[in-house]
Amino acid sequence: MIPLLWRSSLRYHSTRPWQLLLAILGITLGVAVVTAVDLANESARRAFALSVEATAGKATHQIGAGETTLPESLYLELRLGGLRPSAPVVEGYLSVSGRSFRLLGIDPFAEAPFRNYLEIAGGGRSDLAALLTRPGAVLMAAETAEALQLERGAHFSARVGGRVRLLELAGFLPATDLVERRAQEGLLVADIATTQELLGLQGRLSRIDLILPDADPRSLAQIEAGLPPGVRVERAAARVEVMEQMTRAFSINLTALSLLALVVGMFLIYNTMTFSVIQRRPLIGTLRALGTSQAEIFRLVGTEALMLGVIGTALGLLLGMGLAGVLVRLVTRTINDLYFVLDVTGVFLTPLSLLKGVALGLAATLIAALKPALDATRTPPRQVMSRSFLETHYRQGALHSGAVGLLLLLFGALLLALPGDSLMVGFAALAAFIFGFAFAVPQITLVLMGALQQLVGQRAGFLLRLAVRGLSASVSRTGIAIAALSVAIAATIGMGIMIDSFRQTVAQWLEHYLQADIYISALDDPAVTPLPEHLVSTVRQAPGVHHVSTYWQVEVDSDVGPIELAVLQLAPESDRGYHFKSGERQRAVRQFHEGALLVSEPFAFHHRVEVGDHIELLTPKGSRSFPVAGIFYHYGTSRGTVQMARAVYLRHWREAEVSSLGVYVEPESDVEQVVNGLRRALEQEALEIRSNRGLREASLQIFDRTFAITAVLRLLAMLIAFVGVISALMALQLERSREFGILRATGMTPAELWRMVTAQTGLMGLTAGLLAIPLGLVLALVLILVINRRAFGWSLLVEIPPGVVFEGVLLAIVAALLAGLVPARRMAATPPAEALREE
Amino acid sequence: MNRGWLPLVLLAMLVVLATSLFLYRPSPEPQTPSLSVERALGGEAEAQEGYARATEHRAFRFPEDHGPHPDYRNEWWYITGNLDAPQRRPFGFQLTLFRIALASELQMAEPTPSAWRSRQVYMGHLALTDVEDERFFSEERFARGAAGLAGAQTSPLRVWLEEWRIEAPGPSTFPLHLQAGGDGFRIDLQLERGKPVVLQGDRGLSQKSAEPGNASYYYSLTRMPAAGEITIGEERWPVRGQAWLDREWSTSALGPDQVGWDWFALQFADGRELMFYRLRLRDGATDPLSAGTLVGPEGDVTRLTADEVSIAELAHWESPRSGIRYPSRWHLRIPKADLSLEVRPRIPDQELDHTVTYWEGAVQVDGTAAGRSIAGRGYVELTGYDSAPGKKGKKGVGVIFGHE
Repeated sequence: MIPLLWRSSLRYHSTRPWQLLLAILGITLGVAVVTAVDLANESARRAFALSVEATAGKATHQIGAGETTLPESLYLELRLGGLRPSAPVVEGYLSVSGRSFRLLGIDPFAEAPFRNYLEIAGGGRSDLAALLTRPGAVLMAAETAEALQLERGAHFSARVGGRVRLLELAGFLPATDLVERRAQEGLLVADIATTQELLGLQGRLSRIDLILPDADPRSLAQIEAGLPPGVRVERAAARVEVMEQMTRAFSINLTALSLLALVVGMFLIYNTMTFSVIQRRPLIGTLRALGTSQAEIFRLVGTEALMLGVIGTALGLLLGMGLAGVLVRLVTRTINDLYFVLDVTGVFLTPLSLLKGVALGLAATLIAALKPALDATRTPPRQVMSRSFLETHYRQGALHSGAVGLLLLLFGALLLALPGDSLMVGFAALAAFIFGFAFAVPQITLVLMGALQQLVGQRAGFLLRLAVRGLSASVSRTGIAIAALSVAIAATIGMGIMIDSFRQTVAQWLEHYLQADIYISALDDPAVTPLPEHLVSTVRQAPGVHHVSTYWQVEVDSDVGPIELAVLQLAPESDRGYHFKSGERQRAVRQFHEGALLVSEPFAFHHRVEVGDHIELLTPKGSRSFPVAGIFYHYGTSRGTVQMARAVYLRHWREAEVSSLGVYVEPESDVEQVVNGLRRALEQEALEIRSNRGLREASLQIFDRTFAITAVLRLLAMLIAFVGVISALMALQLERSREFGILRATGMTPAELWRMVTAQTGLMGLTAGLLAIPLGLVLALVLILVINRRAFGWSLLVEIPPGVVFEGVLLAIVAALLAGLVPARRMAATPPAEALREE
Repeated sequence: MNRGWLPLVLLAMLVVLATSLFLYRPSPEPQTPSLSVERALGGEAEAQEGYARATEHRAFRFPEDHGPHPDYRNEWWYITGNLDAPQRRPFGFQLTLFRIALASELQMAEPTPSAWRSRQVYMGHLALTDVEDERFFSEERFARGAAGLAGAQTSPLRVWLEEWRIEAPGPSTFPLHLQAGGDGFRIDLQLERGKPVVLQGDRGLSQKSAEPGNASYYYSLTRMPAAGEITIGEERWPVRGQAWLDREWSTSALGPDQVGWDWFALQFADGRELMFYRLRLRDGATDPLSAGTLVGPEGDVTRLTADEVSIAELAHWESPRSGIRYPSRWHLRIPKADLSLEVRPRIPDQELDHTVTYWEGAVQVDGTAAGRSIAGRGYVELTGYDSAPGKKGKKGVGVIFGHE
């Protein structure tokens, strides 16, 4: 009995390979996207942890100041006082041939307990001598040198802080294992003197590494007691934790978007399984009559689904690993633009990510197959059961599921109405909307088709009427297919609207935030690279220059953790750039000049700061409390930024650099002329001199780069939707070969048949596309107003681009028409008698 | 069924696509040609460019010459001594500070602004021998001669490597204060002026190999009364004894055929001291340039040449750490002075296994001088035994000193 059961299953599916393939493809794509996103997120995290590990070595603790650097005299004092193991570190970034590297400056003689970059065995004395005595001497991984085509002793240029510096490859980093090599790919090691000189940090250290025994809080306290105010000891691992915290919202969002792809894949599986069960009802009825138990039928359908799930998941993992390579670069981009410098060179195939992919793929398949399998067991043990009864039965089902859908939609709305701003609740609401809508689609389809029938009435040709009737008559299959399609298309519409709204918001914000006529910054790392000292006065005295504003950015420790502090000297005209969400402009700006802080919207959101609150900043003289005068709109970073007047900063920190200048041109001068004049005057410096418009365009380019990952995910969702439409509709039409045979036998010409099929699939595509619009809008609104706010704290304008909506509908129709093409052509070419023959 | 192949083809394409995506690695970006310049300072001959060399006699002046001579590549302050705690519990100590120039003034590029930039590196070796408990402690340290981490100055004399210090109290050199500690042990000693300076070699010019300039300036303070304190773990001992200072500076010394040296510094109970270094050739023979001095009770110096001293190795000791086999007992005969001496390590294992692996330890001497029995104590240094074939030892002193 059992072998027969399985053989029947095999026979059934082998005659419908298309259906199987498309179902597998659905799950494959879903799993691929989920796995790829997870791998990309995980790779970014691992790469960061590795680079921290590579530069921290075996250090357990680090002495650092909230400010970026500390005086080297502190190290000498501690070292000569007998604190060891201890090692001074100066760190920064530079780029070689467009690749960015972390530059780690060390004292080779203090290194041994921490890092093994200077095993004398590697190269011997000549390495060490060159490293210490030649300015610009660096070590890099042999692989990196090979990629850069550099040999030992080669001289090469690097961009450091906007200047071109000549470096010398003094030797290679020793590497023992793969992970270590991976960590070293983006690393240059140099003597501390060289590093200080390259980075312009004479007299300063980034940190002091320590190895403290685990269970010795006494020595820690002792060290801390001896430190000057503003300097503290931190666990080395703390940096990884801060990174995870910062990028958490970003990776959750990506994961959520990727899960959306899996949901669409689930619908495809559900569609295929339901379809196969409905088609096999006579067969299952016969089997039941022959004594097959309900459990056996359940197992049969379940196993079929599992097989699909296994194959789809396996392929999905493979595809996901490949896709991760593309995604990880995009994720790295975004992290670099939004958070911090990170160099990820490859995908870390973490077993956990792959396991997650397997679990999600199989679980999604089984859940999707649960209802079809249960339906199959309920087939009464009779040989034949009338189709019309089935469809009637299903119409009731559609009504029920419509009711469930309505409840889910209401539940989603309720979730959004809940107080609090939990991101997870936001995603739960999003899921409720998607599933609620999907449940409601069959009923909506019935209503729509009914209306259409009325509308078309007798006026239309019989072909169209046939097509419309066929749709509502077989709602058991069309309803599910349309639901799956509209969810898939709604996802692409929702994401599209969200990205566009974001971009539009940023564009508008840039327009008023960037007030100066000309912006000057270093070519590399413009936010943190100090400009040469004389530059400010040179620019101020240049012809046509009216006012100059300056910008500098430092990391400062505060009572809410490390923050990004922007130190600004505003020009009189700069005020106009601020749009305050909270706080009155004139008063806020006045208080800002008097010593108060301005914080950006995401900062206020993340740290629950309101106007009038105080933030404690760690200054070299100890903790100081600063009032918050205003919360302004700012889309530059997702961490949020805190701004302080330069004069105020100088009072507490004594010294500050300038990393960019805003130049306000005299009213009667021509901006182009002033730009050209400045370019000529500053020819020697590696500077980026841009007009307001140029900077705006560049900023939007960065925005597009930052959101490339989202755009790619949207494209993937579109691809899955496309596959979904084709698979569902093609299956539907192929199943009807008998019906088509009758139509052909009763006199329908191949051309007429082709038109009817096309009309029918086109209609389904159109229905799905149209139904996707309201859901897409709801998804967009939830993403913009709820998810983005809760994850990043950004207020975004809602901008509905007709193009995105149109694209969605068009996608549905084109895919639907394509899906009709194969069955129609096949049917048109098959002699009616052949089609009528029983299978 | 005849159309069944199409999905299979698509499936295969999917697999191929997935695999190729998985295997895809972006090719590295196009490179700008590297500015590969011939290394300016390649060969060994050029490496000595810009250094002063010990080619002729010089007028030694003290206390100035106790201080550093940065124009020469290598220099050391080498202090050893045998000490006694109450109940005649014997200890030996070694504190050596090496100055090693990585480049000559000429080879350095124009001065650069970082306070850490330096062409001088200091290496320190500290060792303590606890004869009674047969314990030997040693520690190595490095620091650059910059930023206050390490350095040497003349007036007042001060040579230091982090917290290891050799310091004069003021313009007068003595009492010289020695302070240094390692993991679980430390020494804190005052050295008094003892016997006068002994210029080694030919009026302080000590020729090490045939090539002119392969020589060092070399003087010794062969006997300095020492007193102070030794700490091991939580235990402390007040100690007294005699110390020995060797000072040498040079730019190149050993020739290509010389593999190392055996250095003897012995203080006899009769008030005399013997220094002899035997330069060993690759074939095991004694280099004719090996030399020494016998210092009389009043500081009168008798030079000893290689053929005036015969050394027989009576025993050997193999280090369990490095696997290196060192001679471990000697018979020294100096017919010219009618001396016949047997030199024995106070404990066998006094090997310093650091960047350079060598044996340096306290020894005890017994023998006869002109028929009368004579006793003494001293220090012996054995270098270059790790370069013997078949030994797994590390690179020798040459690595650091640049004459590999």
